[in-house]
Amino acid sequence: MKTLIIIPAYNEELNIEKTVKDVTSNTNYDYLVINDCSKDNTKEVCKKNNFNMLSLPINYGLTSGIQVGMKYAYQNNYDIAIQFDGDGQHQAKYLKALVDEIENNNCDIAIGSRFVTEKKPHSLRMFGSILISMCIKATTGKTIKDPTSGMRAYNKKAIKEFISNSSLTPEPDTLVYMMKKNMKIKEVQVEMSQREFGESYLKPLKSIEYMFNIIFSILFIRSITKKNKGGK
Amino acid sequence: MSITLRVFLILCSMISFILCIRKVKQSKLKVTNSIIWIIGSFILLLTSIFSEAVEWLSQKLGFIAPVNFVFLILIGFLLIQVFIDNMRISTLSEKIKDLNHAIALKEYENEQKNKAKE
Repeated sequence: MKTLIIIPAYNEELNIEKTVKDVTSNTNYDYLVINDCSKDNTKEVCKKNNFNMLSLPINYGLTSGIQVGMKYAYQNNYDIAIQFDGDGQHQAKYLKALVDEIENNNCDIAIGSRFVTEKKPHSLRMFGSILISMCIKATTGKTIKDPTSGMRAYNKKAIKEFISNSSLTPEPDTLVYMMKKNMKIKEVQVEMSQREFGESYLKPLKSIEYMFNIIFSILFIRSITKKNKGGK
Repeated sequence: MSITLRVFLILCSMISFILCIRKVKQSKLKVTNSIIWIIGSFILLLTSIFSEAVEWLSQKLGFIAPVNFVFLILIGFLLIQVFIDNMRISTLSEKIKDLNHAIALKEYENEQKNKAKE
């Protein structure tokens, strides 16, 4: 199947080269770096290495980056699109497992999850993750062990759904939306490493705002998503 | 309502009306957006001219002072305006995002074409 790895990057000049090399050396899927109008040399680094890069003229955040990647995947007829962080947290050797999951197990979205077989550690971050899992369980009745994982593979049906609604974000509330639309979601055990350089999208105060947004969205907006006509 | 308040309200309504018309003429405000402000200034004018009616109504509704009723109308008017503006900002933001995507995709396409030529 034609697979595209979407790598959003904002101010990742120190990480992006390593990430893309990791993808190209461990897999033979196509990839697309989305440069979200970085203020540092991310663009130059990509140009120098001749990476396949799409450069946005205005900085608009992670959501917009993933959305444009999905549009690209749809226009170029990709069967699977995978969101993959450009900061070196995700490891490309697990990408194949996600693709296999979609190809063989007939699911629409595969999540690279840290906690399928492993236990969740106790930390403030994980408390947030547990809270979101509980909200998802309450609204859909299904268990997602690692909802905040940023490594997700979408099949063609999910890509189409994703670009048809511009309010969809690459965040856990979209999973609830997709489940309400009768999509099958499965989790695959992966490992993630700590980011080496640069800053994450989620800063301390921002993460409180993030939690509030996601939980509000899951409980009050995504939970009343209408099913597509004609069932499956 | 006191005479001073009534004069003040009439003045406010006139100033907002004139300001609105001027801005439309300078094409700094769209005609469709100006209508709500003109209606607002008319409401102010009406409350100050027919203050007896306002007093009667505010008494029926149980307000301690008629001026409170006038404030309530104004606050309600402003809240509606803010809400409409919020919706407009959201739509604009979506449109800018779409443009952002369209430009990026187009530029990417052009680059690929240039590369193919070389």
